Amino acid sequence: MNIHEYQAKKILAENGIFIPAGGIAYTPNEAKRVALGLTARGPWMLKAQIQSGARASGHFIEHEAGHKGGIRQITQISNIAYESAQMLNNTLVTEQTGPKGRLVSKIYVEAFKKVKNVFYAGMVIDSTLPAVTLLISEIINQDIIKIATTDESKILRINLKYGEEFSEAQIFKILDFLTLDKSYLPNFRGFLTNLYHTFMKLDAQMIEINPVGIQRDKTLIALDAKINFDDNALFRHPEVLRLQDDYEENIRMQRAQKFGFPYNEFDGNIGCIVNGDGLALEAMDLIKAKGGNTACFLNVKGGVDKDKIAEGIKIIMTNPRVEGILINVLGGFLRCNLIADGILAATQEVGLNMPIVLRLEGTNKDEAKNILAQSNLPVIFADNINAAIDTLLKQMEIND
Amino acid sequence: MSIFANKNTRVLVQGITGTQASFHVRRSIDYGTNVVAGISPRFNGREHLGVPVFHTITEAKQATDIDATVMFVPATSLKNAVREAIEAEIPLAVSIADGVPLHDMLEIKAMLNGSKTTLIGPDTPGLITPEEARLGIFPENIHKKGCVGIISRASTLTYEAVIETNQARLGQSTVIGIGDDMIVGTDYREIIRLFHEDDETKVIVLVGKSDSLYEQMAAEYYRGLQRKKPIIAFVAGETLPLGHNMGYAGDIITRGRITVQDKKRLMRDSGMIVVDNMDQIHSALQELEL
Repeated sequence: MNIHEYQAKKILAENGIFIPAGGIAYTPNEAKRVALGLTARGPWMLKAQIQSGARASGHFIEHEAGHKGGIRQITQISNIAYESAQMLNNTLVTEQTGPKGRLVSKIYVEAFKKVKNVFYAGMVIDSTLPAVTLLISEIINQDIIKIATTDESKILRINLKYGEEFSEAQIFKILDFLTLDKSYLPNFRGFLTNLYHTFMKLDAQMIEINPVGIQRDKTLIALDAKINFDDNALFRHPEVLRLQDDYEENIRMQRAQKFGFPYNEFDGNIGCIVNGDGLALEAMDLIKAKGGNTACFLNVKGGVDKDKIAEGIKIIMTNPRVEGILINVLGGFLRCNLIADGILAATQEVGLNMPIVLRLEGTNKDEAKNILAQSNLPVIFADNINAAIDTLLKQMEIND
Repeated sequence: MSIFANKNTRVLVQGITGTQASFHVRRSIDYGTNVVAGISPRFNGREHLGVPVFHTITEAKQATDIDATVMFVPATSLKNAVREAIEAEIPLAVSIADGVPLHDMLEIKAMLNGSKTTLIGPDTPGLITPEEARLGIFPENIHKKGCVGIISRASTLTYEAVIETNQARLGQSTVIGIGDDMIVGTDYREIIRLFHEDDETKVIVLVGKSDSLYEQMAAEYYRGLQRKKPIIAFVAGETLPLGHNMGYAGDIITRGRITVQDKKRLMRDSGMIVVDNMDQIHSALQELEL
């Protein structure tokens, strides 16, 4: 689960990390009021609150929003309301949002902080070690994944085993990497320890501060913040769960999450229902190899509830990209007749105007076939995954 | 022979009285698995499925020797279940739990370090030695005794690999799902090592996924082995867009470092036979002329 920048900053501040003074605004006048409340003289920062990185280099779809991005520095108080009006209720497109972008419904107004220097700090879990890994880089405002793929030497990694704290040697290594002298040690130790404790306390999967500012008095300040939480641990953190912005999550993602199904979307036109991530990945690779493209996959896992499976199928059917459905289920003990019942229930509710090809193996496979044969739904069965995809692609061509 | 479990392995079941557990343990017993005891706080002193049920592992150990435990406990209780198994020095623990918090796994891995317990899973169908022992929820009817050791990090895709070995008329020595999750108790390397020590296993089939460095680690390990048994490997997820993280944000550090193409190249360089599709596994097996 992701949260907004202003929420992440509040959490960091509560845990001892400095942040610029700021406040949230939903209207242009409110933005001006917040700005004046922070400081009588600018500059100020106006920051569009959508859950995406690269907001500064993004652009708005609507003409009236002007040509500037989603992060703006304003020097005259008279411009705050005008620039806020440009951003509010318009659509920001960034490298990470896809071409449709995201609607900006609130702006975070901050007092501008002049800093001496900046760097990137990220904290993630390296699963294979396993360890909590701190990433440090001098390159800021860029996607860390891009830096990692182009020049690994630009990133310093520090690994902490479970229960370990940052050692002095590790902090010196960081200072060395950033070409800072040892007078920065106490502030870095305080900052990193607070970051790490926040990470552990809240079951975070990732915290990114891009960038951290180094102030004139050598203290560190979070100029941006992004926190991603482990969905499997949210039951321990009701205070975090309350921060979820339903507006941000695509409605199908929300529904899948509600029913406990992993669900992923891509830019193709085939919807896949599987029981297991591996099956989904295999199907996706084969679809591509055969000239098709996957729109989404939904993993019903060991689903044993017919109604939940129907909900899952409805999520796929209501994705507007989907023009054909592949169901690849290898039971185990997911009983195949539940899939058949689920299809019936879902189609009765939302109709069926696209081909469905099923590959079912396992318990009650024949019962499933009978149920669907009697329903007169235009579903097709295949014996293996290759045949299933070939058949589906052919059917989709006919439908064109 | 086989690895980890055979018909003599004395199996304990933690959480034996749950609905899912009852269903699967019944099937495992019918399959021939030597289930000797169960744990359930509420059933203490009674029998369930014809098996004596105890309050704690320590109490069960006073009544019988235990070689392995299968954990039918919810994801949120796994930490405690593993701790109890470690304290009782149970050599093998299998967890099928789905949705274990990542930070719990960090703690569990730290607990396992230096302990006498090997954890398989979580988020796995478990392990099965055909016609001898079933520890978990594998569909037992597709398995046949034979000489192929299977290791997989892709739960249900494992069944495809099993079917492929059947098509090659070779069958399986032991089939192990190491778990779908980002952090697993035991990775490929230990299983590859054990399959090399097992006389019955002539060849290994490895089923991997795009979303971790485990396959790369397996390749590095295999490269260093002196006498190699052949490994036929498949990795799913070549077309998953870079940066798409299957719900796990920490992926950026692994996805950033290696693509599936790189991974497959490393595996080939280490001496593994890497197939591009699952349905090429049976022909690759036949070509080995075992």
